[in-house]
Amino acid sequence: MNIWAPRASASTTQSAALAVAAVVMLVPAYTLPVMHLGILGQHSADTTIFSGVVQLWQQGLGGLAAIVFTASFLVPLLKLLGLAWLLLAANREKFRRRRPRLLTRIYGAVDFIGRWSMLDVFLVAFLCGAVQFGQLASVQPRPGVAAFGAVVLLTMLATHRFDPRLLWVDVPATPRTT
Amino acid sequence: MQPDEPFVTCPLCGQTHAAPFLKPGQRASCVRCGSLLAEAGHLGPQAPLVFACTGLVLAVPALLLPFVTLSKFGKERTVLLTDGFLGFWTHGFAPFGAAVLIAGTIAPFGLLGLLAALYVLGKRNPAPALLPRLRHWAHQVEYWAMPEVQILGVLVAFFKLGSVVNVTIGPGLYCYGGSSLFTLMAWRSFKLRPRERRPFRAAAVATS
Ligand SMILES: [Zn+2]
Repeated sequence: MNIWAPRASASTTQSAALAVAAVVMLVPAYTLPVMHLGILGQHSADTTIFSGVVQLWQQGLGGLAAIVFTASFLVPLLKLLGLAWLLLAANREKFRRRRPRLLTRIYGAVDFIGRWSMLDVFLVAFLCGAVQFGQLASVQPRPGVAAFGAVVLLTMLATHRFDPRLLWVDVPATPRTT
Repeated sequence: MQPDEPFVTCPLCGQTHAAPFLKPGQRASCVRCGSLLAEAGHLGPQAPLVFACTGLVLAVPALLLPFVTLSKFGKERTVLLTDGFLGFWTHGFAPFGAAVLIAGTIAPFGLLGLLAALYVLGKRNPAPALLPRLRHWAHQVEYWAMPEVQILGVLVAFFKLGSVVNVTIGPGLYCYGGSSLFTLMAWRSFKLRPRERRPFRAAAVATS
């Protein structure tokens, strides 16, 4: 039996395709600048997601740096790892055997944390809308934010498409109950 | 709390249950996977409507009043809720501007409207045919409504900007925060059936 030719289901196929697209978009999301901050006579530089976290840290805002790091790095990576595990479990019996409850909790966690990576997108959008003082000071979006936004939306769509009932196909349903 | 349909199917594992009658504060969990199926709040049966309407009322000043005020080089700039969307839109990132507008403004306020409509229509006898579709929309809209994430993003921006420009939080942000809180409370207290999924065909295609 070919282990890479598992049960085809529209749900897992679409979810896997969206997750793979998100993994591909992670590269430009983390390497390209997300915004450009220019202040007359003081400062003019592109910021990546990582350098944004470092700047917060250097400003003495360690707590906020940790929040942004979690939302922008840990959440997308954990979410994609969780999705990979769920997709594997949905397709291969040996990955889900005796653990459907645990897998369902992982699905719940992946579903819950996903939205928090939108933090950086809201942050950059707000800065771009707010800091517009013409030549004196301005913030402009850069392509990295589009790639990161795509990662967030693709991972959310991937989770939304995944059908957690696939994790329970081996467990007989209890007779209709109260 | 009286159920409005005879059966509830768990969206996570597919187990069907007789819809429970819940007393205030009681929760019903799925017998198979343990996930929460329904919850009856401690507050009265009209609480969801009160929360949804309060959230909607606060949405108006949240949209119109200043979110934050920035000043630099003697110039002052008032920023509104929708300026985040414009920040992307005017710089050639229109699809992401739309995503910000949907997730931060349209979906949260739309959800409040949907919940209020569901409550009012749910009281009608017989229940309007539109009700199941509205419920489905409420679940879909809730998935993309992220007001709490937008608030956190604005607060991070507030501290980040503190070293560069003078920033003052405006009444719009407080109203938006209040509206978001009521959105969450309305959603939690609403007697909404779990998200419905299409009939399940587990082993559509088997390969060997
Ligand atoms: Zn269940």
